[in-house]
Amino acid sequence: MRPMVEVESLAASFGESAGLSDISFSVGAGELLVLLGPSGAGKTTLLRTIAGFVAATSGHVRIAERDVTCLPPEKRAAVYLHQSPVLFPHLSVAENVAFPLRLRHVVGNRRSERVAELLESMQILELADRLPRTLSGGQRNRVSLARALAASPMVLLLDEPFSGLDPGLRQDVREAIRIVQRTSAPATVVVTHDLDDAALLADRIGVLINGRLCQIGNPREVMTLPSSREIATLVGFTNTLSARADGIGNIETAIGKLRVCGGTVSGSGSLMFRTDGGRLTCDGEFRGRVTAVTTRPGSVTIRLHSAAGELELASESGRLPEPGDEVEFALHRERLVFFPGS
Amino acid sequence: MTVDKHSTVGLILPALIALPPLIGLGYAVTASLGLVGVAPGGSTSRYLREVIANHTTWAALGWTLWITIASTFLATLAAVFLAATFRAESKADRFGRIVAVLPLPVPHVVAALSSLLILGQSGLLARVAHSAGIISTPAQMPPLVYDRLGVGLIFALVWKEIPFLALIAFTVLKNRGGMLEETARSLGANGIHTFFYATWPVLWRGMLPGIVAVATFVAGSYETAALLAPSRPLALPLLTMERYTATAMDLRPGAFVLAGFTLLLSLAAVAAYGATIGRTDRLQ
Amino acid sequence: MRTTPIRWQSSLLLVLVLWTALPISVLVISSIGSGWFYPHLVPTSWSTAAWSELVSDRRLSRSLLTSLWLASLTGGIASIVGFEIGRRVSRTPVPLRYFALAAAFLPVAAPPLALGIGLQYFVLRAGLGGTLTGVWLAHSAVAIGYTTLYFIGVFAVFDRRVEEEARSLGASPLATLARVTLPLHRRQLAEALLLGFLVSWAQVPLTLLIGQGAVESLATSVMSYVHAGQDHLASVAGLLLALPGLVLMGVVGSSIRRFAVATV
Repeated sequence: MRPMVEVESLAASFGESAGLSDISFSVGAGELLVLLGPSGAGKTTLLRTIAGFVAATSGHVRIAERDVTCLPPEKRAAVYLHQSPVLFPHLSVAENVAFPLRLRHVVGNRRSERVAELLESMQILELADRLPRTLSGGQRNRVSLARALAASPMVLLLDEPFSGLDPGLRQDVREAIRIVQRTSAPATVVVTHDLDDAALLADRIGVLINGRLCQIGNPREVMTLPSSREIATLVGFTNTLSARADGIGNIETAIGKLRVCGGTVSGSGSLMFRTDGGRLTCDGEFRGRVTAVTTRPGSVTIRLHSAAGELELASESGRLPEPGDEVEFALHRERLVFFPGS
Repeated sequence: MTVDKHSTVGLILPALIALPPLIGLGYAVTASLGLVGVAPGGSTSRYLREVIANHTTWAALGWTLWITIASTFLATLAAVFLAATFRAESKADRFGRIVAVLPLPVPHVVAALSSLLILGQSGLLARVAHSAGIISTPAQMPPLVYDRLGVGLIFALVWKEIPFLALIAFTVLKNRGGMLEETARSLGANGIHTFFYATWPVLWRGMLPGIVAVATFVAGSYETAALLAPSRPLALPLLTMERYTATAMDLRPGAFVLAGFTLLLSLAAVAAYGATIGRTDRLQ
Repeated sequence: MRTTPIRWQSSLLLVLVLWTALPISVLVISSIGSGWFYPHLVPTSWSTAAWSELVSDRRLSRSLLTSLWLASLTGGIASIVGFEIGRRVSRTPVPLRYFALAAAFLPVAAPPLALGIGLQYFVLRAGLGGTLTGVWLAHSAVAIGYTTLYFIGVFAVFDRRVEEEARSLGASPLATLARVTLPLHRRQLAEALLLGFLVSWAQVPLTLLIGQGAVESLATSVMSYVHAGQDHLASVAGLLLALPGLVLMGVVGSSIRRFAVATV
C-alpha cells in the first residue's frame, strides 16, 4: 500500500508534554492507525505537528509524497479534529459542512448537492438548518466528521474522539468514523486511551511513550506481544511476577516453574500476562486464595493472593468462587510474556 | 509557519498605543526641564523649583485632594449602602439596581451643568428655599458653586461616580457575599454584625481597585472643575490650563511641570490599582 | 440575603429615583421652559424654541454634527484597531502579556489634560492644530486604549480551537479572520464601537487643546453656552450629549459593566 502520510525522524516539542523524538511511521490511504500512550506521551503533539499547528524541530512530514513540513495547516490536506467537536457557532449545520467547499470555490447547486450528500452519508440530513448549540454530543460529532469529509482530506487526524462519551455515543462515533473510511478513504490517525476502541477500529496500533514510538504493528501483535513492560502495562498486562529464565524455555517464579514456547532469553526479569492469561481449574498447577470477585459488564475478574503476590484472572465459566476460597489455577503459556532485566 | 509568530506583533502593537502618552509625558518632562518648549535655555530645574516654591501649586494640590477624597468617600459610602439595600432578587431590588447605575453613561460635563442649574445662586435649590420662605433674594443663598468647599463640584462628581462604584459593589456582593453572610447569621450575628463582620470586609476589598480608578479620574477631571470650581484656590487641572494658556510665555513651562506631576500621579494610581487587583485576587 | 426591611426599601427607592432623575429633569425643563428665572419653581411658559435652534443655530447644529462625525470615526477605527491588537496580544506568552496590558492602560490612565498639553506641540508641528483630523487623532489615541483593553479581555476567554479548525479545513489566516473570527465577534465589535464613540463623545480637554477653539464639539459647546449665560442652549446640548449613553443603557442592559470604565 502506497503511504499517504509519511513521518520521518520527526522531532517536536510543545508545552508540558514530552518532546517528540525520532518518530517514523507511515499510514496508507484508507488505513486507520490508532495511537496509544499514557497522558503526556506526546500523542496530541504528534497529531498537531502533522497538522501544522506545532513546528517540527527536525524531520519531515510528507503527505501524498509532498513534503509539507514547512507548510501552514491550510495547505497540508490534513484535517485535524479536536477532542470535542468544534463547530462554527454562528453557522448552521449545512453552512458548517459547506465551509470547506466555499473555500475551494465550489458554488451554487454543486455545493448544496455535495452538502446534502455528506449530511446523508452521516445520517444527519434532517439537522441541516439547525444551529450547533441545539445539537446533542453525538450529532455534533457527526457534523464535525461530515465537515471534515467536505474538505476531501488526504489525512484525517482525530484527537481522542471518544473522550468523555458514554458507550452508546462511542458506538455512534465509531460508526461515523467507519463511514468516513468507506466514503473517502483518507489515511486516518486516531488518538485514544481506550483499548476496546483501538481494537475495534485499528488496522494498526502505534504506542507512544515519552515522545518515542516504541512499537507499531497490527492490533493482535501489540496486544499480545508488547515489546516492553510499559507497553504491556498500557495494553492491559496487569499481572507481573518476578521470574528467572534459563534460556531454554524454563521460567522459575514464586508460584512455581513454567515452561514457555521459544524462550531463549536467560536471566532475571518479569513475567507478565493479562487477566485472560490464566484460568481457574480443578487440576491447576498453581494455588491461591480468592480475595475479591469483581463483576464488570461482560466479564468477571477474580482477584487472588498467591505466593507471588496479588493476581487477577478472568473467570471463564462455571461456578464463581467466594472470597476466602482456596483455588487452583493454570496459566496459558502462549499468553505469557517475559521481559528480562529489572 | 505556526500561529506563534503573531506574538511578536502582539507586543509591538500595544507599544504603539502607549506611544502618544509616552511622547506626551516625555515632552512635558523635557519641557519642564527647559530642554524644549517656548524658550529652551538648556537643562534647568528653575521651572520645577518655581512651581514647588509657589504657594498656588500647593493650594491647588490640596484643594484637588480635598475634592477627590470627599467625592470618592461619599460615592463609596452611597454605593455600599445601595448594594446592601438592593441586593435581593425582588422586582424592587432589581429596579433599584437599574436606577442606581442609570447615570453611568452621562458625560461629566452634563453632570456639571445640572449641578450648576440645581445648586447655583439662583438655581433650583435657591428657588425651593425661597418658596419655603427661608430666603428672599438669591444673594441670601449660601454659595454652593464656585465655593471654597466645592459643594457643587462634589455633588456633580458624586452623582457621576456612585453608579460606577455601585455596579462594582453589586457584582462583588453577588459573587462573594452570600455564603459568608449566611454563615455569620447562622452563628448568631444580627444584621449590623453581619454587615460589619461579613459583608463590609468582602465589599471594600472588592471595590478597592474601582475606588482607586475613580479617585484618579476625579483628580484629573477638567470640565467639571471648569464649570463648578472657584477661582481661588484653583483646582489642579484649572491651574495647569491657566498656566498653559497664559499670555506670559514664561508661565508655560510651569504648566508642563504640573502636567508632568499629574501624569506621574496617574501612573502611581495605575500601580496602586494593579497592586490592589493582585491583593483582592489572592484574597479570593 | 436581604438586610433592609421592605418599608424602608420603598422609601429609599423613591429617594434614589429622585436623586437619579433630578439632574436630567432639570435639563429637560431648562430646555423647554421659557422664562424660567428665580424665584419660579416651574417655568412660566413652555416652548421648544431652544430645540428649534438645533436647526437654526448654526453653532449648535455644527457642534452636534462635528461630535457625531468625530465620535463615529473614533469608535469605528478604535474598535477595529483594538480588535486586532487584542487578538494579537492573546497569542503573546503570559509574562509579556502584562507588558501589553500596561501599555494599553497608559492612554486610559493618563489625564486627558496632561496628555493634550504634551501632544499639542507635535500636533501643531504636523500642521494639525485646530483641525478635525488633529482632534480625531487625539481622541483615537485615548479611545484605542479603551478598546484594546476591552478586546484583551474578550480574547482571553476566546476558544481559539475554532480558528484552528478553520485552518485545518483549508482556510488561510485571512479567510479564517473574515469567515470565522470576525463574524463570531460581531456583538463585541459593536460594543467596542460604542465604547470608542462614548470616549470621544464626552471628551473635553483634548478637544479644547488640540481643536484650539476652531473645532467645537457638543461637549465643549456646553461649556461655551454656560459661560455665555445661555442656559437653554446649554441644556439642549447637554441632553443631546446624554442621549446616546442613555440609549446605550437601554440596548446593552446588564452588559453595561463592560463600558463602565469609559464613563468614570
